[in-house]
Amino acid sequence: MRRGIYKKKVTFFITMMLLLSFALVGCVPKSNSSSSTSKTEGKWAGQKIKVQMIGDFAMDDKTDPVTGETAKGMKVVKAEFEKQHPGATVEFVLMPWEGYTEKTQAMITSGEADVYQMPGVADFAPQGVLEPLQPWIEKDKEFSLDIFIDNQVDGWKALGPDSKELDIYGLPFLGDTRFIAYDKKLFDDWGVEYPSENPTMEEIAEKAKQMTGKNPKTGEQNYGIWFRGDWSSAFTLVDLAEGQNGSWGTGFAWDEVKFNFESPEMLNGLNWLLEMQKYAPKGIVSNQGNEKWLSKDNNIAIMLNQGPGDTVKPAYAQGLGDRIGIVNEFKNDEGRGGLFAGSPITIAKDSKNKELAWEWVKFATSDFVQKYVFEEYGAIPAVKSATEWDSVKEMPLMLPVFKAMETPMTPRYPWGSSQPRFILTSEIEAALTGNRSAEDALKKAQKESTEWVENR
Amino acid sequence: MANNSVEAANTTTQSVNTNTHTESKTMKKKKRSSQWTWYIFLIPSFLGILLFMVYPIAESLRLSFFKSNGTIETFTGLANFRTVLTSGPFWNSVWNTFYIGIFQILITIPLGFIFATLINSVSKGKNFFKVLYFLPNVTSIVAAAMIFQFVLHPEMGILNYILGSLGLPTPGWFSDPATSKWGVILLAVWHWIGFVIIICLANLQAISSEMYEAAKIDGASGFQQWLFITIPNMTGTFAFLLITGWIGALQRFNEVYVVGGPNGSPARSIQTMGAFIYERGFTGFEFGIASAATYIMFIIILIFTFINLKVSKMKI
Repeated sequence: MRRGIYKKKVTFFITMMLLLSFALVGCVPKSNSSSSTSKTEGKWAGQKIKVQMIGDFAMDDKTDPVTGETAKGMKVVKAEFEKQHPGATVEFVLMPWEGYTEKTQAMITSGEADVYQMPGVADFAPQGVLEPLQPWIEKDKEFSLDIFIDNQVDGWKALGPDSKELDIYGLPFLGDTRFIAYDKKLFDDWGVEYPSENPTMEEIAEKAKQMTGKNPKTGEQNYGIWFRGDWSSAFTLVDLAEGQNGSWGTGFAWDEVKFNFESPEMLNGLNWLLEMQKYAPKGIVSNQGNEKWLSKDNNIAIMLNQGPGDTVKPAYAQGLGDRIGIVNEFKNDEGRGGLFAGSPITIAKDSKNKELAWEWVKFATSDFVQKYVFEEYGAIPAVKSATEWDSVKEMPLMLPVFKAMETPMTPRYPWGSSQPRFILTSEIEAALTGNRSAEDALKKAQKESTEWVENR
Repeated sequence: MANNSVEAANTTTQSVNTNTHTESKTMKKKKRSSQWTWYIFLIPSFLGILLFMVYPIAESLRLSFFKSNGTIETFTGLANFRTVLTSGPFWNSVWNTFYIGIFQILITIPLGFIFATLINSVSKGKNFFKVLYFLPNVTSIVAAAMIFQFVLHPEMGILNYILGSLGLPTPGWFSDPATSKWGVILLAVWHWIGFVIIICLANLQAISSEMYEAAKIDGASGFQQWLFITIPNMTGTFAFLLITGWIGALQRFNEVYVVGGPNGSPARSIQTMGAFIYERGFTGFEFGIASAATYIMFIIILIFTFINLKVSKMKI
């Protein structure tokens, strides 16, 4: 009898708990997507677009776990766009960087969104799934490409399904670049002069060598240099070749691509990396050894192939803004070199509301959105006017970043997210870990990459 | 009168027969309809299997005969299978998968069994040890892989610190192709051993104590009891662990992806078959190649499971 009552009580309690959980879940607002019913008044009445965005964006306000700063949500951007376009509705699909390529492919195949943030525009444009933007730019008298930082529009040009000429399929939305960062304190401790604005391989090598060993002031073990020997090593090596007036190869369409991985400049670059490994901590081929970078106890003087997202805001958040310096990557005699990176925005070919989608593209590249995503999320602006913003002026490290954005190699490396990149990366790793000589590694990379292109 | 009563009896019998017939019909109908009810209940899960298992499997088979990037497709026949089977990185990934799998199984099953025997023999704190050893198994393998990167850090890792203080050489672990596979094996052993212990313990507790008592009376030592009673009674469990372990090992992806990325850094030394499929499919848009590799992997798993069943004499 007692047991029966007990059982009933437990069942009642569990049921109530479940009901409460359902009620609570039901009350939580959706954070990663937004929706609203279509509006019936205004110029854009009833029109709706869905915008996909990649990164740390969120609809509602959120707190950064590292910096502790609160970022306002994208709901502000949504409200502003809908205010500027009466009757229009914008919905967001926000996703993290992890697996963004396959998610974008799945979304575009099923016609999920109208506007996409798309770093892989060069892979998608030949599929015929993107709207060419040149006609929209020409038609819109209010819009000018001059608003963008030099080189940014050219960097995102891609080949369409039938064209042999590069065309505009995406406009710069988020900027990105690669540069060399250094710790001024370590340079001061060792009495070494800071790197020049456009350093050479010899200069970096010499300084890295000087600053490897026991720090003369703190007695701590210091390392002259650090670079990723795995994931991004192919880009580091290609930049080294470009710094010697070499290149990764030629062509953009796959049937025209010719690799130059065996060139003397590439070989010299790989041998340079092998030499630099002596002045780096252990673990560069597994992305280890740099754990103290951007901390007060940092032990690395020079960091190759760094990006602004991982450097600028985190440096200021740690109170190290004045301690970090940024200079250009290795450039060729024309002042160009390094990976072109960032995120353009594109319009899906099958979008039902292309007019409104174009309005969004203009809005996303306007000062309002560019400033908002920079101030709230630390996303790097792609527009020239950014240098005048107070929020940018408060972070002097942004100025060399904007400079570096003007000079990478364009268009973007066509093999940047395909097999040749992974082939080259694996061979660099093989050389760095002593499994193959630099010459053999590059020979193998050249052979396998060429075969891959031929068998495509 | 008599005739009337016979007629009445006949009529009654007939009506009883008719009633029985109708009843049995109704019963049959009810039975049939109740059977259908069960099928209706099965529809949701059946639809789920159809949509999320049967369809992807069939679509993947179709894709393996096409050159496909998700939107543009060209029929290529068996070319994808030829590409995969003649690809050096694919056979390297097969080697890595088997190497890690073999050592994981060879270490974990015997070690797990020994630990289970020890836990089974203690009189106090059995549950404490069960929880302690099972905890790694409930930990997310992704989180565990990230932690292991710190544990096996070449300079700051606790393991190298211990090895160094004992005067032993300190390997580069995940930063050296010669030791990276062993880093993954350590992680896999740590993660799987709890499961092996629990399964072995369940079997150990099911062995009749009378057998041990009889052996004791016959003068068998503790080791002899373990060798001649415990182990022969554990064969079913070993077979189960061997087969499930092999299938899991051949499908390995999560931990190697976290540690070495899709190309199994350093120098493809920890790229498994699953990672090879991911690299070709989701970083290079070569869905045809990835699908062909998936079917080749399926055939490899099938052959090995068959061999395992024969070796372990397990009945399914």
